[in-house]
Amino acid sequence: MTGGTVTLNNLTKRFGSECAVDGVSAEVAAGEFFALLGPSGCGKTTTLRMLAGFEDPTKGQIILDGEEVTHLPPNKRKVNTVFQHYALFPFLDVRANVAFGLRYQHCSKRELDQRVGEALELVELGDYKRRKPAQLSGGQQQRVALARALVLRPSVLLLDEPLGALDARMRRTLQIELKVLQERVGITFIYVTHDQGEALTMSDRVAVMANGRIVQVGSPRSVYDEPADAWVADFLGVSNLMDAVVRMPGIPGNRERPCTLTVGSFELEASGGTVDAAGKVRLAIRPERVSLHEYQESAANRIPGIIERTVFLGSTTQVIVHLAVGVAIQALADNTSEAASWAAGTPVQVCLPADGLRVLPIDQAS
Amino acid sequence: MTGTSLAPATAPGIAPPWVSRTRRFDRIRRLRRPSLLCGFVWLYLLWSLAPVALAILFSFNSGSSVNEWQGFSMRWYTGDPEYSVLHDPALHAAVIQTVRLAVLTTVIAIPVGVLFAIGVHRWRSRQASAWTFLMLLAFVMPELIFGVGIFLLFTNLFTIVRLGTTAQVLALVAWNISWPAVIVRARLQSIGDEYEEAAKDLGASAIGAVRRVLLPMLFPAVFASAVLVFAGVIDDFVIVDLLSSNAQTQPMSVIIYTLGAHGGSADAPALNALATVMFVMSIVTVAAGWCVYRLLTRGERDRSEKISLGPLTGG
Repeated sequence: MTGGTVTLNNLTKRFGSECAVDGVSAEVAAGEFFALLGPSGCGKTTTLRMLAGFEDPTKGQIILDGEEVTHLPPNKRKVNTVFQHYALFPFLDVRANVAFGLRYQHCSKRELDQRVGEALELVELGDYKRRKPAQLSGGQQQRVALARALVLRPSVLLLDEPLGALDARMRRTLQIELKVLQERVGITFIYVTHDQGEALTMSDRVAVMANGRIVQVGSPRSVYDEPADAWVADFLGVSNLMDAVVRMPGIPGNRERPCTLTVGSFELEASGGTVDAAGKVRLAIRPERVSLHEYQESAANRIPGIIERTVFLGSTTQVIVHLAVGVAIQALADNTSEAASWAAGTPVQVCLPADGLRVLPIDQAS
Repeated sequence: MTGTSLAPATAPGIAPPWVSRTRRFDRIRRLRRPSLLCGFVWLYLLWSLAPVALAILFSFNSGSSVNEWQGFSMRWYTGDPEYSVLHDPALHAAVIQTVRLAVLTTVIAIPVGVLFAIGVHRWRSRQASAWTFLMLLAFVMPELIFGVGIFLLFTNLFTIVRLGTTAQVLALVAWNISWPAVIVRARLQSIGDEYEEAAKDLGASAIGAVRRVLLPMLFPAVFASAVLVFAGVIDDFVIVDLLSSNAQTQPMSVIIYTLGAHGGSADAPALNALATVMFVMSIVTVAAGWCVYRLLTRGERDRSEKISLGPLTGG
């Protein structure tokens, strides 16, 4: 299947006075796994529903493979949806559910049987043709919903939190399966989720949404490593945020000239983010970049602190340290490291490496 | 691990005595039969069913008394050449009229009510909720007021509608349309919009989605309301009495009332037989409806999101 490029042009949806989606523009390449990630109420589902044709956009354009589909009804678009609660027809068996849409493609009985069989083999449910949806587990229902959409060979498959109703274990298995499946069929997937892990594991590119807008678009790694602002940094997993004041701005792109800032009475250098900012900013650092050492005299990019508590997380240990500047900071330590065994109340030296610290402008944060 | 426990040490698995004692009381309280309440239920059942049972019993009396048992016979159903339900033209006609009204009313009220429910469900405005409220009003409005109102309407304003079957069916449809409207609307709300959207997403047109997905999913509710309308019409008295024109348009309920209250006593058990026919018709309708409803919603009852019409269908 070729095709499957999607262009969103200043897409806007208002419900009464409320603006659910506020000028979203994006380009999705053919065969791409594109995730719309954001907290509930950020407009990601409304965006998806406009793509599917269930909501009529107030403004803007949707272009599918070079053709404008903005105001076409759902049955006139080469786009199919996997619904959050699957929406399998309860009175039809698995086979009839998968065959439902084929009736509108006018294919012969033999072709229909063959395509339904192939689609069910694809999701490994070949033996469940005669079952009713109620007789299937959540994971199996999810696969039937996938088969029902994929059997129509859409250009783009829309997925609305398809793993949301499943338990954590099942979710992890299906994340990988979905990604493998997408690579096999080569169809563009547009995937809506509020789960950061899910979006980062599966997608080629992630669009982070907040308040009806796309805040940042990029590969999972770039979005995670280089968040555009404090809000994105915080939303994409735990991030330590501190208020800081720029003493001397650095030069962007030059690691030799980092930004010098003060946090409380301590001086820090940061080489990530908007290093040429001025005035009050926020400093972000991920817990895995924070390292803990035995207490010593203060040095560059080191702040003393006291261990508040340690939490065993399984593969690592989370250490919460109360810094001398008055904020608490999280660090991740190997279970075998010394830091993991320190008791609450132990004075430590917290090392915040310059290349782990990112300067984030304060006003962008929502 | 850290610190000392303040609670007295007890061996694991053996609860302290006060715990086991409350548990025992709990179990007793749970298992004990509420005999006083049970007694009331039985008394009530006896009190309400005894007259019905007696009426049915005397419909099989071989004599013409309704208070003295003279032996079992089918005389008042088929045997008596003059007064039996089968041979008395008035009683005979009443059965036919009841069935006619029930069938016609159901056939008209159900499609209209279903369309009303779908329309109001899509409408989603303040006006729509006002219409819904109007539908609920039919449940609380005294039937006599409705009946007299519509009688005056047909005799003064819309005189084109003659009293008799036409007027009766029109009034019964108006009176009973609330059942499909309210029940189907409730079902629509629990179904949600996702299924219809899924159908459209897969290629169905708006009408196709209603026909291939929504109607099959609504069917249990449509069926349940049809049963209620049918049984309701069999039981109806006020409307059909006010709007009947002659003996030919008097259904069973009216005949039983008029003959029972004013008629002679020579054929008294025949009325009991007629009442029994009416009673059996209602019971069979509701029982059959309940069974079919259970069959239709078989798959749903295993799921948590079951759509319950239990209180309405007696399930």
